[in-house]
Amino acid sequence: MAIIRYPNWLWPDFSSALEDVERARRQMDRLVSAFAGSGGGPMVSGVFPPLQVREDGDKICVEAEVPGIKPEDIEISVHGKTLTLSGQRKPEETPNGNYHRRERKWGSFSKAITLPDEVESEKVQAECRDGVLKIVLPKAEHMKPRKIAIKGE
Amino acid sequence: MSDKDLQFPEKKEVQSSAESTRTVPVFIPAVDIYETDQDLTLLADMPGVPIGNIDIDLDGEQLTIRGTIAPHEENGRLLFKEYTRGDYYRQFSVSNSIDREKIQASMKDGVLKLVLPKAEAAKPRKITVSSS
Repeated sequence: MAIIRYPNWLWPDFSSALEDVERARRQMDRLVSAFAGSGGGPMVSGVFPPLQVREDGDKICVEAEVPGIKPEDIEISVHGKTLTLSGQRKPEETPNGNYHRRERKWGSFSKAITLPDEVESEKVQAECRDGVLKIVLPKAEHMKPRKIAIKGE
Repeated sequence: MSDKDLQFPEKKEVQSSAESTRTVPVFIPAVDIYETDQDLTLLADMPGVPIGNIDIDLDGEQLTIRGTIAPHEENGRLLFKEYTRGDYYRQFSVSNSIDREKIQASMKDGVLKLVLPKAEAAKPRKITVSSS
């Protein structure tokens, strides 16, 4: 299919606005590629929990650092290509104590990400160990790479 | 994104002149420290560190906590990364009024909990004033 670009004179008022959008998109792409590389690049969302997403053949692996959260306080849901993590980080109960330092944050969270492919929502597996949540999402059957055999005569 | 969302702060790396022998970065864990009449409790976020990999050392007044992350399989193509895995290291100076023999450490869901009981002499004592 050919993509036909309309000449700019058709929408003289929009052309500069479209360029702005395009420039913003390029900046976002640069930000995302810097961030997907190695090392501690800039954070994109800052919304708890911090994630790492990997694509490994026919599955997608999502990991999140969730220290101090009980597995039963985390809710994971998959809807289409959207993965949602929500829950609550509860503060430690302190009987009549005075805080000297309070750096650990607590509160409720909800974070949704778009997965690169559709997944089999019934076959999603999750485990939480040492404060790290790992979710393995097998790709939907029709999204898996398929080898096509060529028939001879 | 609303203001209500729980945010995570960027992990801070330990600034040290000595190079680590491991290639993983070393971070400063976020801690809570609270004091009651009986003890001082320290909570440190160390996700990815199993119980056996925690090293706590009290030398003089210096308390050192060190956590080493477990080896990890990282297969596939990285699409999105908001945190870096690494070890944890932090030092505190602790007063001498801690009962060293009774320090307790536990680990749950990636959080280290250290309970430092106060020595008998350091516990607050109520003195009743009796009228003569």
